[in-house]
Amino acid sequence: MSDGGNEESAREIENVIEINPVISRSGANEFGRAIAKIAVAQICESVGFESFNESALESLSDIAVRYLCDLGKTASSYANSAGRTACNVFDIIQGMEDFGLLRGVLGASEAHNCVIESGALREIMDYVECAEEIPFAQPVPQFPVVRARKLIPSFLQMGETPEFKQIPDWLPAFPDPHTYRHSPVWNERVTDPRADKIELARQRRKAERSLLSLQQRLVCNGDVIASTSTTEPHDSKLEMQPNASENPFLAKPLQAGEKDVSPVILPDTVRNQADGENHISLLEAFAPAIEAMKDGPSESGHDVEKTLPDKRPAVCLEFKTGKKVLGDLLDLRLRNRGSGRTASWFGHNDEKDDKKRRAEFILRQSMENQQELTQL
Amino acid sequence: MNATSQQQGQGQQQHPNIEGRHDDDAALSEFLASLMDYTPTIPDELVEHYLAKSGFQCPDVRLVRLVAVATQKFIADVATDALQQCKARQSAVIKDKREKQQKDKRLILTMEDLSRALHEVNIKIVLISDNIQKSSFQDDPIVMMK
Repeated sequence: MSDGGNEESAREIENVIEINPVISRSGANEFGRAIAKIAVAQICESVGFESFNESALESLSDIAVRYLCDLGKTASSYANSAGRTACNVFDIIQGMEDFGLLRGVLGASEAHNCVIESGALREIMDYVECAEEIPFAQPVPQFPVVRARKLIPSFLQMGETPEFKQIPDWLPAFPDPHTYRHSPVWNERVTDPRADKIELARQRRKAERSLLSLQQRLVCNGDVIASTSTTEPHDSKLEMQPNASENPFLAKPLQAGEKDVSPVILPDTVRNQADGENHISLLEAFAPAIEAMKDGPSESGHDVEKTLPDKRPAVCLEFKTGKKVLGDLLDLRLRNRGSGRTASWFGHNDEKDDKKRRAEFILRQSMENQQELTQL
Repeated sequence: MNATSQQQGQGQQQHPNIEGRHDDDAALSEFLASLMDYTPTIPDELVEHYLAKSGFQCPDVRLVRLVAVATQKFIADVATDALQQCKARQSAVIKDKREKQQKDKRLILTMEDLSRALHEVNIKIVLISDNIQKSSFQDDPIVMMK
């Protein structure tokens, strides 16, 4: 018994499992352990446990993995002893018997037992019959996943013949010479300086045009003042502003008679005369707005050439009540033509004045409305 | 192979023994066939992975299932022992207070119960301090469980 006791103690020492809380695991190993954890948890649940301590679960799953590995090792060692590389059912049963000796198995004492009659196997058969079948919770992919490596193509596959005779063509091909040898680089593109210049000039002109139209639009949108008295040809504006970013007030002055300007009577308060630089620039500035009023809100940025009529007929338009202020303003402006008050619009580019006049018009309009209402 | 030679030497007793062997063979093959119906909790892929790691080479699925079932039985036995330990501890507490029993109704797998259950299978669990950073049993188990 003392011998047995010693043996037992020796065995005990062997079966020490060291558990390290700080463990770094890697790759397929971690995945395998995680799955083992889940499987073990399921088994314990079926036995009757309701919850687990994390450390207990981890250690038990670790033991399960070890059991698995050891069973495989034992079985393979038995197969090797019998002179085989592939394992048998008998190898497994013998391995199971080895492990079963720890706990004691029915019929273990019989030395010459046929493997098939082993007690361990019988126990397992009983277990399979009695125990509940619990399939694993989730589908498990085949692991570890072997990534298909991209192989270097052989000489044959590349269609090359190896330089040296001793190299067979089924070997992987050599890398291209440009990968390890410095070769000269030629600039393939043919440069045409003249074409480049033309292209550059064209792009510049395009940019100028777009900037110009943008400015026109801005002026048109910001300007509510409308007048149909004068129209300006637009190309003159283009000439006046070669660079759209330039201040229009600083543009070059036009010669007298260069532009067709309507015979407007400017009040004396205006410093510059009709041929003056500022005046022309103002006219230009309002030209798109005028155009917009005439033609409608559609086109304002295109080059529209308009000839100024020599004689401007006085147009009297009747507008219904309840019109927009814009329409009313136009009406009033038209009516006031004869009096020459329209010119004052150009003269007084004062915002405050504008608003004041607008307010006056609105008042008059309301007065008229009231009158018409009373008529009804 | 000893068993067969002994049986052959027995002469008249051969027939029932041979028949017995045939029965056993039949039982084994039946059992292996029944394994295909039974799905063990431990998935086949996991078992295959670890068996391949340890040198076990066999294309037969039934053997893989057999190993899985054996492992499952082992773990179930250990868990059952731990459960008995847990229940035994709970029953010792009953006499103190009824309220405590209500709280402790949940059966939790603890390290203590587990180590006691594993002691019966001759497995000792030792906790190493945090100073040792590298794990000592990452891939190869230090210990054979014999």
